[in-house]
Amino acid sequence: MADVREDILARLLEVVASIPNIRSAQRNNVEIPEDQLPAAIVFDGDEETNDASDLSMRPPNRPTMVRMHPEIVIAQQADEAGSDLSGLRRELIKRVITDTALNETIVKTGRFGNGAIRYLGCQTDLGWGRSLQGALRAQFMFKYALKIEDL
Amino acid sequence: MTIDYSAMLYDPVYAEIGVPAVFTVVGADTGAEITVIDDTRPKLLPTGSSAGAEVQSVGPGAFVRIPELTAKGIARADYGDAVLAFNGRSWIVRSWELRGSPNGEDFGEVRFSLKAGAVG
Repeated sequence: MADVREDILARLLEVVASIPNIRSAQRNNVEIPEDQLPAAIVFDGDEETNDASDLSMRPPNRPTMVRMHPEIVIAQQADEAGSDLSGLRRELIKRVITDTALNETIVKTGRFGNGAIRYLGCQTDLGWGRSLQGALRAQFMFKYALKIEDL
Repeated sequence: MTIDYSAMLYDPVYAEIGVPAVFTVVGADTGAEITVIDDTRPKLLPTGSSAGAEVQSVGPGAFVRIPELTAKGIARADYGDAVLAFNGRSWIVRSWELRGSPNGEDFGEVRFSLKAGAVG
């Protein structure tokens, strides 16, 4: 059994947990206590294929390429949230894109090594709680082969 | 006859649910003793994630009667970055909102929005 999607998400959690100064790394938590900041949360991403337009006679259990878009939120609080958040963003992008395990997982799924990891962008959100809190959410795209026989 | 809302409304309310506080303006060695109403509330801060994740925090705040501040020599120019200590905690005034009174804003309340000191 091999579930590439789950392997990617599980590895992403390990990657964000390794970012310096992150106090809490979690998956899919939507209620983050301020005591856990700076926190990184990996949200399972939507999957999509191009198979809706595939009208060929290809057997349904043949491998198909999938694109998954997980979202990662980094939340922190600081006297002046800003450059700290930028630093966490740098580490996040660098570590995800260059992670050896993620790259090997992705590339090995495609017959021709045609998997891919892409950084799509990020957005920020700010608000006052006990102190100024900043959140950054970043989107990535993982392209890999979905092999029905391996599930 | 004009109703004195300070005497008939604010003063009894502050006497009932107000707590003692010390307001220290920037640069002052000692603070002024005043009465505040603790208005610290739970606050959810959105992260903007598509999953709707929120940070659970508190929004510290306090109501103060403007006539009391004026009587203690504290003007609006002194509000910013002042230290307000009450209920065992010490906060910094980060912004404020004037709450008018039928007798005019100088006889109403101000709600201080507060923040913690240095954050690690």
